[in-house]
Amino acid sequence: MTRLANPFPGGDPLFNHGLDLTVIGFVIVKTLIVFGLLLVSVLLYIWFMRKVIADMQNRIGPDQAGPFGILQTLADGIKLFFKEHSTPARADRPVYLLAPFVSALAAFLAFAIVPFGGIARLGTHTTFLQLADPPVGVLWLLAMSGIGVYGVMLAGWSSGSKYPLLGSVRASAQVLSYEAAMGLSIVGVLVHTGTLSTRGIVLQQTWQNWHSFVSQWLWLPAIGAFVIFLIAATAETNHPPFDFSEAEEELAGGYHIEYGGIRFAIFYLAEFMNMITMSAIAVTLFLGGPSGPKLGFLNQGGWVNVWIVPVFWFLLKLWVVLYATVWLRASLPRLRYDLLMDLGWKVLIEAAFLWAMVTGVIVVGQDQHWNLWIVTPAAAVAALLVYGFLMMCVPGKRELEDIR
Amino acid sequence: MWEQQVAFWVLAVAMAAAAIGVVRSRNIVHAALFLVVVLAGAAAQYILLAAEFVAWVQVLIYIGAVVVLFLFGIMLTRAPMHDDAGALDNDQRWGGLVVALFVLGVLIALLVNAFGGKKIHFSNALVSLGRTSHVGTDIFRVFVVPFEVVSMLLLAALVGAVVLARKD
Amino acid sequence: MNPHVDFHAFAPEIVLTVTIVAVLIADLFTDDSKLPARIAALGVLGSLVPVLTLAVDGQTRSLFGGAFVVDPFSLVLTGFFLVAGYVTLLLSFDYIGEGDYYQGEFYVLLLTSLLGMIVISSARDLISIFVALETITIPTFVLAGWRKHDTKSNEASLKYFLIGVLSSAVMLYGMSLVFGLANSTVLVDIHKYASGHTPALFAVAVFLTLVGFAFKVSAVPFHFWAPDTYEGAPTPVTAFLSVASKAGGFVALLTIVRLGFFPSGNSWQPILWVLAAASMTLGNLAALRQTNIVRMLAYSSIAQGGFILVPLAVAGDVRGNAAWQAVVIYILIYGAMNLGAFAAVIAAARRTRSAEISRLAGFGRTNPAIAVMFSVFLFSLAGIPPLAGWFAKFVMFRAVFDANTTVAVVLGVIAAVNSVIAFFYYSGVVRRLWFDEPAAGVELSSPRLPVGLSAAMGLMTAVILVVGVYPQFFARLGEIAFQRG
Repeated sequence: MTRLANPFPGGDPLFNHGLDLTVIGFVIVKTLIVFGLLLVSVLLYIWFMRKVIADMQNRIGPDQAGPFGILQTLADGIKLFFKEHSTPARADRPVYLLAPFVSALAAFLAFAIVPFGGIARLGTHTTFLQLADPPVGVLWLLAMSGIGVYGVMLAGWSSGSKYPLLGSVRASAQVLSYEAAMGLSIVGVLVHTGTLSTRGIVLQQTWQNWHSFVSQWLWLPAIGAFVIFLIAATAETNHPPFDFSEAEEELAGGYHIEYGGIRFAIFYLAEFMNMITMSAIAVTLFLGGPSGPKLGFLNQGGWVNVWIVPVFWFLLKLWVVLYATVWLRASLPRLRYDLLMDLGWKVLIEAAFLWAMVTGVIVVGQDQHWNLWIVTPAAAVAALLVYGFLMMCVPGKRELEDIR
Repeated sequence: MWEQQVAFWVLAVAMAAAAIGVVRSRNIVHAALFLVVVLAGAAAQYILLAAEFVAWVQVLIYIGAVVVLFLFGIMLTRAPMHDDAGALDNDQRWGGLVVALFVLGVLIALLVNAFGGKKIHFSNALVSLGRTSHVGTDIFRVFVVPFEVVSMLLLAALVGAVVLARKD
Repeated sequence: MNPHVDFHAFAPEIVLTVTIVAVLIADLFTDDSKLPARIAALGVLGSLVPVLTLAVDGQTRSLFGGAFVVDPFSLVLTGFFLVAGYVTLLLSFDYIGEGDYYQGEFYVLLLTSLLGMIVISSARDLISIFVALETITIPTFVLAGWRKHDTKSNEASLKYFLIGVLSSAVMLYGMSLVFGLANSTVLVDIHKYASGHTPALFAVAVFLTLVGFAFKVSAVPFHFWAPDTYEGAPTPVTAFLSVASKAGGFVALLTIVRLGFFPSGNSWQPILWVLAAASMTLGNLAALRQTNIVRMLAYSSIAQGGFILVPLAVAGDVRGNAAWQAVVIYILIYGAMNLGAFAAVIAAARRTRSAEISRLAGFGRTNPAIAVMFSVFLFSLAGIPPLAGWFAKFVMFRAVFDANTTVAVVLGVIAAVNSVIAFFYYSGVVRRLWFDEPAAGVELSSPRLPVGLSAAMGLMTAVILVVGVYPQFFARLGEIAFQRG
């Protein structure tokens, strides 16, 4: 890909003229919009998921509440809201009450950096269609997923019984392990874009012509990172086939089994918010975010092309990715736990490291005007050799049994 | 500048209160959670000093990894998880209080004496010092030797941890 | 655009790093326990080659704005550390290989610690020094606990770890205050800052930094981890801890005082004075009462550390480089003596299966060769001419008399009294070796000593005899170290 100049070097132009009441108003409105967007997405996603899975399994799925059962999730939510609260006798009350909110808060805050549209102009103010654009946006994402672990961990611990504890240890070990692979795979993107800001990353993937789809959108230039990211994100969100936190055969419901009513609903919400956030991040990092072809028959600078079209492209891509997650859920059986850990530590992390190095070689090669047709295959071959060597170092099944 | 002052004092008081919570808590998980508050406060202070990269790295490393591993350690070992009065108390709180107050007094006096009249002037130059690119340049140009040595150190720590942990 | 990096200056570090990785990989692919050890030994000797080429080249290389300097001082000490590391490897081959706790990772950790040492001899800024010091200590936490099924070894490791971490925290707090005041981590800039008027906080910062170092070099009153750790750790590791890792602490201390804090003499001299006097006195008095040879040597090395601190404590009043030279010469000689003494302990323990001094009775009659060398090391530690130890003591006292102030002379008197006390317990062991009847039940017929162990003892004996008779050799090294390159 070629590096593009960033038209907004100072971050969100909303803050260019200092802070006044209108600006604060803008921020509040944006927060509400983002929160609403996320909530509505969750409601729709759960319905969508149930419908699609039902279809794949030759069932009807929810069809009572509203047209096509679309209000089913809302009805479930209302029911949970009015259910009785109960706290286990051995629970650590303050932590027990805190845990669901930590989960939900982290899930929501992570979404804050997702650019879901282009630029909005209202009066004299111009702003990004995204809640916040910190210059270290990607670190923010990783930090929030780190905080999200607390919700899981504390929920299991504070319930005061052993199944939730085991479930939470499992889930948090899984999240921590895959966070490493995920962070390293993101490095493969950052080396290409040269910025940590999510807005900067999508600006690098701006649509210019149809060629941008393969040259500018990072899914192809960073294909290795893309694959690793998708696997790691699936594991990170405890999504099937990696949904060990709630393996009903061994653990009953997992870390949140002692939660009922609205508190359980919050965990449920957080889980799906995380899913949507991760899908949105995948869209942002690899699929160009809100960029896409504009409607040629309309004015290029008109409100449809500036406001509506980018949001449309973003939502379209998001739902494509979300459909893929549902597909995964419907078709893959759960892995075994030790295989999950092996995959994370012995395959993905190494692969992500090597991919980051290959990316480094390619980007330096571009800078120095080397012949990329020679450099890229050479780097890839070298990486494969190192990978093969590493795999030789990993003890095989029989050796492992010997060690045990 | 008064906004920064207010923010600083709010954060500082919260951090101090949480730090006292760390040592006073009888429940080790609660103590770890208080520690999270202290560390998050430190990250917020970095943001006040326009060191955004360091702030988020602080959250990522300390809150996202170090304390999580504390909790892991607590959950995976047979450490007392629930209120266990006495086990975590060595009955030296008055001595501890005296020493703490003494150190506090000395440090306040010395720090005020040394840095009392100095002010931080916010400028674009200061903000750019905290930028990721600047930190990166420093690490890979000026501090490349410690950086590389640290990588060997981490390798050795990893090897050592495996040696200690594995059964033989 | 890209910084120019002088790879020749880093060559010893690079060779050692490559060796570490090679040992790790070799250990992964082979069941042969000898191969990693051989690679490790070859790598350490190989790292000496660039040290020699740099020495022949002779030019001072200053990199990264003075944060990393390769000068005669760093070359002399890099050479010393590599030789000490090699001797430790010689001691460990059979000890580690024969125990039921063999792990090839031993060499990886030992070499990483060694890497920290050779970095510390060139490091000239606080961050590099701190990182190098941690690289020295962290692998040794694990090494001290190498005998996982032995509670003493666990205790050794845990005590060492807790104290080590605490001291790092204290030191880091001091260093951060120094950085805050001087606005730089490079020692040259700190030197400039310390030359001017400094607030009281600077003295506290220096105090905290030095306290951190005092833990690392086990100076009294921050010594209490040392005897337990030395006793519990595998003996080759103890030798390494008491020589190489302690010397690493002293080198860092010397660098930081000489190039950083020096102008602000009032802030560091009294601290070092107290540490030196307390270490000598308490170390020797405690050593008198020990019945275990390793514990005795532990206290003796605390006391020897006190002797090394003496010239540092008076350095502010010594003109020229005499005090610094005394420290370097003492470190070199102490290294040879102590490595030798621990080699002899290992050799003797192979025969007696014990570290109790009483079990050494009559050892001279049954194993005269080991006993002779053992006596050489002990007398050298006591400072008897013509063994190298006297020269170390001599340069120390010369520094004291060069300083010629009341406090320096008082410290000199304390050192002299302590030398006499030390003579008692060293000679006590020697008397046991030669003049007591063998205790019942000591196994007299025994397998041959391993080659590595004999070589180490022979080498150290030779160094001690040669330097004792011909001290100009090390004196010259000391001079070279502080020549302007």
